Amino acid sequence: MSDRTPDRVALLALPALVYMVIVFAIPVMVLIGRSFFGPSGLSVTPYIDFLSDGFNWRVIFNTLRTAALTTLVCLVIGYPTALALSWSKGFVQAIMLVAIILPLSVGVIVKAFAWQIVLRRDGIVASLLMATGVWDEPKLLLFTETGLVLGAANIFLPFMILPIYSVLKLIDPSLQHAAATLGAPPVYRFFRLSLPLAASGIISGCSIVFSLATSMYVIPSLLIGDRYQTLPTLTARAFLLMRNERLGSTTATILLFLTIAIVMLTAWLVRRREVQT
Amino acid sequence: MQNSVLEVAGAEKAFGSTTVLSGVDLAVENGEFISLLGPSGCGKTTLLRIVAGLLSADRGTVKLSGADITGLPTHMRGVGVVFQNYALFPHLTVAQNVAFGLKAQQISAGDIRATVAKYLDLVQLTSMADRPIRGLSGGQQQRVAVARALAVSPKLLLLDEPFSALDRKLRELMQIELKRILREVGITTVLVTHDQEEALVMSDRIAVMNKGAIEQFAAPGLIYQKPASRFVLDFVGHSTRIAGTTAKTTDGLLAIETAFGTLHAQSGYIPGSPVTVAIRPERISMSMAQETPPSVNVLSARLTDIIFQGSKYHLLFENQGDSHLLVEAGRIPEGMAVGANVHLHWSLEDTLVFPGAQE
Repeated sequence: MSDRTPDRVALLALPALVYMVIVFAIPVMVLIGRSFFGPSGLSVTPYIDFLSDGFNWRVIFNTLRTAALTTLVCLVIGYPTALALSWSKGFVQAIMLVAIILPLSVGVIVKAFAWQIVLRRDGIVASLLMATGVWDEPKLLLFTETGLVLGAANIFLPFMILPIYSVLKLIDPSLQHAAATLGAPPVYRFFRLSLPLAASGIISGCSIVFSLATSMYVIPSLLIGDRYQTLPTLTARAFLLMRNERLGSTTATILLFLTIAIVMLTAWLVRRREVQT
Repeated sequence: MQNSVLEVAGAEKAFGSTTVLSGVDLAVENGEFISLLGPSGCGKTTLLRIVAGLLSADRGTVKLSGADITGLPTHMRGVGVVFQNYALFPHLTVAQNVAFGLKAQQISAGDIRATVAKYLDLVQLTSMADRPIRGLSGGQQQRVAVARALAVSPKLLLLDEPFSALDRKLRELMQIELKRILREVGITTVLVTHDQEEALVMSDRIAVMNKGAIEQFAAPGLIYQKPASRFVLDFVGHSTRIAGTTAKTTDGLLAIETAFGTLHAQSGYIPGSPVTVAIRPERISMSMAQETPPSVNVLSARLTDIIFQGSKYHLLFENQGDSHLLVEAGRIPEGMAVGANVHLHWSLEDTLVFPGAQE
């Protein structure tokens, strides 16, 4: 291959680059700029003010905790699903893929409202738990963290399943057989073979779901309400309710850097793995 | 007799309505190297997978050193496998691949290191120990796969078409190399292959399989010289075949009437049955002399073609436009050219007779 080929191939990404610069990079720059430039010029006062308030630390903690729990639920449900998807063939696999991808076409608001119904005191989940005797009396799942995590995990699940599936389907199935013939029991094979081989897919799935979950706004608004503030809901509040652009820009920037830090950490983890192998 | 390492009895397997194995019995002695030889779809790979526990048979039992392992999961069997694509673990180094099975057992780190070093030395890959799998050549990958399988000291080693990914030169080299390694370890081995040369070169005994059954299980020489069926005759090596009809047997000599005249064979057939006479092409002698050679089976035919094959020649003969006869020779006798009339003759022992007309 000639040395110039990669440059030419990179040109194909030009339209996307131009688009992203106009609709994403420039507005984000403006946003970050607003958080640093006040009426009295350049200052980090908004950040100091924000971070010196204990309530705001609680908000950051809420954001990360909810995102982490959502990611965990997605991983626990998504990994076996991805495994089943990679083992299935033909028609069954097509049906499964449709079942995973089709819900993405339903708007987040619709899904969140649907979860409101599911999580009600007389909703499906409560009725089920009552019928099976887990609960003695009906309780409200809506407006609880459990309800929020359940709803969010449902909505983000495809973003966990698909990256893991894309890695799993490339793994040679005879590796499992080879490990078994070497005397490795199933649990050992899972931790020493399946998991390391699927690691890159798991890492990307987790980083996508985590990023989405840290920045979700509609889902917490509808499923848990104002009592439970996260960085995105606080940002929206600052812009829409309080008309405090500087506060809004500050929280948005903090959220942005938290997310970037996580994505970069993930990329670094993946690259370190690739260098090792 | 408790000498058999592997004993398969009445193994049957069907996928849907397709029968893949129809009652296979197989016994492999301690330290023996046997081959399952047959065309694709003959059930040889299915049999291997059943022995390894990667597939369960519909009926039948598998015994290893006398113990019934029919229902045992793969990881508890102690049957090593070298897979066709080697199935090396891509996220581990050469040494880590070899250590994988050892680490799954309760073995001290020092013992694992020593065992890995021993088997890497055996396959002459000590210098590659810390290399990643990616970038190894086909031959090196195969040696890693062999070292990995042997490191856990299996009672039985199965080789699933292990040479099919290698080019011809390397294949021949690796066959000899692998034979040396396995002899050194002294392990009982079953090779699955569709390559007759591979089976003939490596095996103590060959089980020729066809349509889910073993047609003949014997030493390579016997398989070649005394094939038990038309299928074995056709699958292993070349043969010259002449259709005929049996006549009377006199003094233990069976006369067979053919288009080339009367031929003779040893075995007893009822007079009047259609048979095929077969001779291995290199067992046929050629003579240009006027007088008929003193042999029980002689026919004269015209040389129509000489095909040079490097180390040998294939000569094609015909008689009155009738069927082509193949003769294999190391060199062309002096004065013999296309168009010459030649006496072809062969001994009684080399005359094979199979029931049924040709093709």
